[in-house]
Amino acid sequence: MRKGRGCLRSYAWSAPSLTLIALMVVFPILYTLYISLTNMSVYHWFDFSFIGLENYRRALLVFDSGFLSALLWTILWTIVNMAVQLVLAFALASLLNVKKLRLRKLYKTILMFPWAMPGYVSILLWKTGIFNSQFGLLNQWAEALGLEARRWLATDVSAFVFCTVVNLWLALPFMIMIMDGAMQSIDESCYESARLDGATRLQRAVYITIPTIRPMIAPAVIITVFTTFKQFDVVYLLTQQMGAQTGSNFHTVLTYAYENAFITNNYGYSSAISMLIFALLLLFSRLQRKEVSR
Amino acid sequence: MKRGKLRSIASMGALNLFFIALCFVTLIPILYALSVALSAQNTLLSSDFSFIPRALTLDNFRAVFEGEDVLPWFENSMVLAAATVALSLSAAIPAAYAFSRRRFPGRKMILRWLVLLNSFPALLSMFAIYRLLRPLGLVNTRLGLILVYTGTMSVFSLWNLKGYFDTVPVEIEEAARMDGASDVGVVWRIVLPLARPSLIVTALMVLIYVWNEYIYATTFMTGETNYTLAAGLYGLQATETSGSWPVFAAASLLVSLPVLVIFLLCQKYMTSGLTAGGVKG
Repeated sequence: MRKGRGCLRSYAWSAPSLTLIALMVVFPILYTLYISLTNMSVYHWFDFSFIGLENYRRALLVFDSGFLSALLWTILWTIVNMAVQLVLAFALASLLNVKKLRLRKLYKTILMFPWAMPGYVSILLWKTGIFNSQFGLLNQWAEALGLEARRWLATDVSAFVFCTVVNLWLALPFMIMIMDGAMQSIDESCYESARLDGATRLQRAVYITIPTIRPMIAPAVIITVFTTFKQFDVVYLLTQQMGAQTGSNFHTVLTYAYENAFITNNYGYSSAISMLIFALLLLFSRLQRKEVSR
Repeated sequence: MKRGKLRSIASMGALNLFFIALCFVTLIPILYALSVALSAQNTLLSSDFSFIPRALTLDNFRAVFEGEDVLPWFENSMVLAAATVALSLSAAIPAAYAFSRRRFPGRKMILRWLVLLNSFPALLSMFAIYRLLRPLGLVNTRLGLILVYTGTMSVFSLWNLKGYFDTVPVEIEEAARMDGASDVGVVWRIVLPLARPSLIVTALMVLIYVWNEYIYATTFMTGETNYTLAAGLYGLQATETSGSWPVFAAASLLVSLPVLVIFLLCQKYMTSGLTAGGVKG
């Protein structure tokens, strides 16, 4: 009797939050699944019809549709960004932990700025201030050096490279802080005894620092892999803005889904892409949890 | 001995120089925007540009307040942020407490589903949400956006708070219960004060999310006066000409300032408050 009432109370306490999640998160996902099985588009707003798995077939089996190439770009994007980010963050956090560095706190605060700024503002400042083809800083410097002004984001490869630069600028502070926090928790005596045993700086990093911080930074690294894969703002704001496309075809899966929903207005197809991305993310998180529990 | 000391001074000097250079390089986009916003002459197209403007002016900052609908945008952002934070917290706190302290059928399954749902990017269901809200008359209203934002942040709020409640020892609550405190009394007077850091971080993440969100705001709201600051700023840069860039730079810095201040003040909570619950906004 008492237990039953306790259960009811628990449900009552969770109800507002769970209702909200059901209405604003779960139901839209199910509705997206439903749309993905239709040919809904700007021409078929009300009189759409069911076409089964046709949208999925088009996404997965027709290479020209663009989804597979966006997916490959996104995988490459995730690998490159994570690799560079981990190496740079490790190096910078190690340098910040050099014992006699007195101004450490000041440097850390300044290096936090890109993380603290609203992301979209920073990206727009990069786009307009640095990369703009008429008055951007890069072109001013190029002209000062006697080089020709260029459109920096116009090709696939250059867009990929500069989006990576901006993404690293945005993401490194978080990673540096995580690694720095983990390094500070390492007992100094470990290094002391290693030094007495004649271990070099590199050996100390490889055999003490990395194995010790690995489990501590793992959750943050996994979260970052996901946010990198799901990156939208950097690529969209720099190169794919409606009416201001720079001409590059570098898409992440999210900008690709967005383009099909809101620029070419192909809702059924875009919903199928959304469901495929969701399926991929579920698969990743499953694999990752298996890896962790092992 | 003496040579070793000299060498260590030299290497510390090099390290400090390196960090000073790195800080400068990191700040270039922000410093450049600041110098453009403050510069009195239009030096944009000349090549003898420097980071320190030769003549200072606040005209660009004044233009931000005069030229565009900035004050209604500001009001919209404030209303949306306050309503979303209030709604998110009042829905998430009781649920997080129930999930943290009680055991009931379906608890484990719901928690597992919430983790999965958290990996779904809100952007992907934007069209579905649009189509669902339109017949209800909620498109182009503040209420519609508040519901969307609260829904988007609800999984995060629930998880983050539950994660922190889990670390609050049960014994303190039991003592209060012995003294006859009700459930609500225990949460209000004991759990919430103890969980203040995570309440602050959760509220801040929701606030910052709403403050920075531009895609939903531009898609769901039509008419410039209904925009939020983020949406308005996004619209301002879309008309990319050399004339509007100094004003845009000034507006960007003004919009960033509150977030920057909040963030730097709460620096110490940021990493711990986020990773404890295992999710990032």
